[in-house]
Amino acid sequence: MGVLCGLMGLGCGLLVSSAHKLQVDDGQAWREMAEAQRQRRLHVAPKRGTVHDRNGVSLAVSIEVPSISADAFEMLRAYDARTFPDALRRISGQVAKALNMSPDEVSAKIRQKRRFTWLKRRVSAEEVEAIRALGDPKKTANPIRGLQIEGEGRRYYPNRDLAGPLLGFVAPDGEGKDGLELQLEEELRGHAEEVKGLRDRSGRLLFAEGVSNEKALAGHSVYLSLDQGIQYIAEQELASAIRTYEATGGSVVVVEPATGELLAMASSPHFNPNDYSQSPPEARRNRAIHDRFEPGSTMKVFTVAAALAARTLTPTQQIYCEKGSMAIDNVIIHDTHVSEWLTPTQLLAVSSNIGAAKIGIELGESKLYEAFRRFGFGESTGLPLPGEAGGVLRSRGRPWVQVETAAASFGQGVSSTTLQLAMAISAIANGGKLMEPILVKRIVDGQGNLVREYTPRVRREAVPPHVARTVSEMLVAVTEGEGTGIEAAFHGFKVAGKTATAQKADPATGRYTQDRFTSSFIGFVPADRPRVAVVVVLDEPMLTHAGGAVAAPVFRRVAEFALRYMGVKPEGSGDVSLADVGRAASAAASGSAPAASAPAPWRTVAPPVSPELPVIPVNDGPSARLPDFVGMPARDALRTAAALGVAPSVLGSGVVARQEPVAGATVPRGTVVRLFLEPPG
Amino acid sequence: MSLFGRIFPKNTGPREQVGGVDPVLAAVTIALIGFGVVMVYSASAVEATVNHKDPQYFLKRQAIFAVLSLVVMWLASRFDYRRLQKGAVTYLIYGGVTGLLLACVAGLGKRVGGATRWIDLGPIRVQPAEMAKLALVLWLAYSLAKKGDKIKSFSVGFVPHLMAAGLMMVLLLKQPDLGSSVVLLLITFSLLFSAGAKLGYLLGAALVAGGGVVVLVMSKAYRLARLMAFIDMDHHRQDVAYQPFQSVMSFGSGGWTGLGLGRGLQVLYLPEAHTDFIAAIVGEELGFLGICGLVSAYLLLVSRGIRIALRATDDYGSYIAFGISTLFGIQVLVNLSVAMAIVPTKGLTLPFLSYGGSSLVVNAAAVGLLLSISRPRSAMAVVTPARRESRDEPGFDASFLEGGEVRS
Repeated sequence: MGVLCGLMGLGCGLLVSSAHKLQVDDGQAWREMAEAQRQRRLHVAPKRGTVHDRNGVSLAVSIEVPSISADAFEMLRAYDARTFPDALRRISGQVAKALNMSPDEVSAKIRQKRRFTWLKRRVSAEEVEAIRALGDPKKTANPIRGLQIEGEGRRYYPNRDLAGPLLGFVAPDGEGKDGLELQLEEELRGHAEEVKGLRDRSGRLLFAEGVSNEKALAGHSVYLSLDQGIQYIAEQELASAIRTYEATGGSVVVVEPATGELLAMASSPHFNPNDYSQSPPEARRNRAIHDRFEPGSTMKVFTVAAALAARTLTPTQQIYCEKGSMAIDNVIIHDTHVSEWLTPTQLLAVSSNIGAAKIGIELGESKLYEAFRRFGFGESTGLPLPGEAGGVLRSRGRPWVQVETAAASFGQGVSSTTLQLAMAISAIANGGKLMEPILVKRIVDGQGNLVREYTPRVRREAVPPHVARTVSEMLVAVTEGEGTGIEAAFHGFKVAGKTATAQKADPATGRYTQDRFTSSFIGFVPADRPRVAVVVVLDEPMLTHAGGAVAAPVFRRVAEFALRYMGVKPEGSGDVSLADVGRAASAAASGSAPAASAPAPWRTVAPPVSPELPVIPVNDGPSARLPDFVGMPARDALRTAAALGVAPSVLGSGVVARQEPVAGATVPRGTVVRLFLEPPG
Repeated sequence: MSLFGRIFPKNTGPREQVGGVDPVLAAVTIALIGFGVVMVYSASAVEATVNHKDPQYFLKRQAIFAVLSLVVMWLASRFDYRRLQKGAVTYLIYGGVTGLLLACVAGLGKRVGGATRWIDLGPIRVQPAEMAKLALVLWLAYSLAKKGDKIKSFSVGFVPHLMAAGLMMVLLLKQPDLGSSVVLLLITFSLLFSAGAKLGYLLGAALVAGGGVVVLVMSKAYRLARLMAFIDMDHHRQDVAYQPFQSVMSFGSGGWTGLGLGRGLQVLYLPEAHTDFIAAIVGEELGFLGICGLVSAYLLLVSRGIRIALRATDDYGSYIAFGISTLFGIQVLVNLSVAMAIVPTKGLTLPFLSYGGSSLVVNAAAVGLLLSISRPRSAMAVVTPARRESRDEPGFDASFLEGGEVRS
């Protein structure tokens, strides 16, 4: 008996000593290994935040897509060496059939008997059903164990390629890779690190106390200043101009001058972030901020503004324009429109290079350079998007020589981005105050608490208010009479703007080419109380290249849509009471045009261009009731839609034959309404 | 006469003064059962939530088993163990349990994870292997006490005992439950050895049994795979050796003082954490000091059992006490060794701590028997009260177990 007691005591001693070795000597190593095991199994990130436009329309959302994984150890542990090959073949076959994979592939994945293996990620609803049936003891006599269905986040862009280059995309591992998705990765991603160690052996997420609320882990939601409707029209018009004039690309930026908020930022060619891998990398570039170009004549606006502010030029001063040709040092400057004496207003209207050069030289190199800097050229605007180009003013890193000052005065030898031009022209529109561009308005966390809000901020005063007002008036002349930008004008509003047709430098020779141009238009409307500033840039249009012919029409369509969409009343219409709008609406609905009396003020001021132009009540509310578009010509349908605050998407030509959503539906502002057109009759 | 009256007769036997039970043993046992309930909760909360949608699922059941086992222990301690020393009773118990084992193997058992270890008895589900251990101890004690000096002979003293144990072992191997049959074999050897069987016979039988175990291991693919995986654990940590590897990882994570009760995270990975591998969770949550405390408690339990065996007034009681102590000792040693991966996985429970009603109730009944044996019995009128050894469990009051009544 003593022997047995001794043996037992020996056993106890052995146990205690090995426990000491295991826990005290090697404890740290084991603990680290356990830690690593818990973290390695973390493979599902929290829900990524949503990106909204200014009206709350979703531009990028994360949805849970099921993925199938297997606990192969659990799956195969009931089989011994004899039955294993058969079981492996049977299970591989069944699973492969359910998931549309090859049995060999499945077999290779489960043969190792690992505790966790992805079988197929992002599967369809039918595949989920098939897998569920395989593991259900009620449906099969021989259910397969260890099959797991888990939700994995997948990024989805409901508007497909809308604002694609701006939004960027998300890689399959859930990481933002470009554009806004990359820039705001930190905010959108959520707090993956907080769920560490809370997964069990089959990878299921088990929340411990304190993190039971999944929303607390979710990423922040982002509200942009963009308006889906305006963005849509800007993209459509840009794309159609590129098609029409066979340009290689282009960009459009729409800004609200008073706040600096970006209403639209279109870049073409563009891509669909839902399947970004199908697109070439250059289609993913956001040309509005990445591409620098020589702006050309649009810079004359800022040269004139700088000279007026420095009092080296007066608004009525006559400038001799050398009959179309002037030599500075060894370079000869030409004008397309040969002139002798021009006022600054006329000079801008006919876009005289010689006149601008003289103003610039009179102002002086350093003052011109500083003025351009004050308008934000030569430095990035600080927009929260990756890879914004700053543009270059002094490309050789030293002050300009005289001929360079002359060239800079009319926008050659300096470079800018579309966004910089948009912010600079907005400064003219905004009484000389340069605003910081706002793309992100609000960031809200998963539980709806405000994280950050971006309010309008003045960067600096580029020119005094009276100078800005004078320049605005001058720019109206561009879109009137003999001006180069006459194509930008539209009925009911005074448009201030400037065209540019800049020769491009050949990167191989460093000289200007004769056949490649950057055609652009910058401007704002209404000229006296600006609501939108729009910049249109088209790269290398082939059929015709004058900025006034190529870019100005895009400006007109985008600006006109934006104004109607925002509910801006035509000039001189005065204040319209709601009762008047209602009466006009009912009159329009009843088919009888209102008499030229008080209740229809916008008809009394300026007679309509076409007599059949329908009277459209302007809509400021958060939602709109859709009228029956059927039978309307495209132009009328677009106007009606814009006035209601919805974005029309037109397919085909002729008159409207069908619409989605149907007439009578109440939709939020910014909703895309599809109009299917067919030839009448 | 009712069944109750048959078991607890009032006026039978000679006049006798019966003392109180061993308070230390009672205290240690109750403390272990209580500790077990706490540990089962800590180790099972995750699995209970996932599989039963109730974190307290296993806690509630174990608490009910604990109360039941305390009642059983109290009844058994009040019961005069010598009433079992009858051929009929002994063979009835042995036969009944063997019948259950047979029924289990014959197809009435419940198949879980490739082994039929459970059998439904009306509304309750029991594990006959747990009963078999106690039943064999009772049978061996009866037989050894009866044979006295004839134990030294081969045919009378040796072969019948091995055959009785062998029958149960064969049935257990059919389940299959190699671990429990090895425990039965070790109990048999220990009892025969202490009763004075010839050492030569025992060594011979041990050799044969060892060979048998080798053959059995080689014959079943899963056993061999488990053994190979155990030897080469690093290469099998994701498959066959997953469980022992995770167990060691849990154990090792504890360090000196552990992560704290209920703070263990390895329960997420360790299968059967609340049953066979509960020691690993104790190691993780309470650390080396906790394991030392646990081993000390079991050491105290077994040594009190041996003390009772040495002090027992009759051979029968002595054999029972020794058998039960050995049973606990072996189970604890094997279970802890498995948890630390010193020996391959066996499927043995840790007495009083592992989740499971059969194990808890049978073990409590065994302690009850020990307590019954511990009562000082004499024909004298004056009772010598059991010595209180309050230094071991100062706060615990075991007086309710000390009946101290006079039976006449």
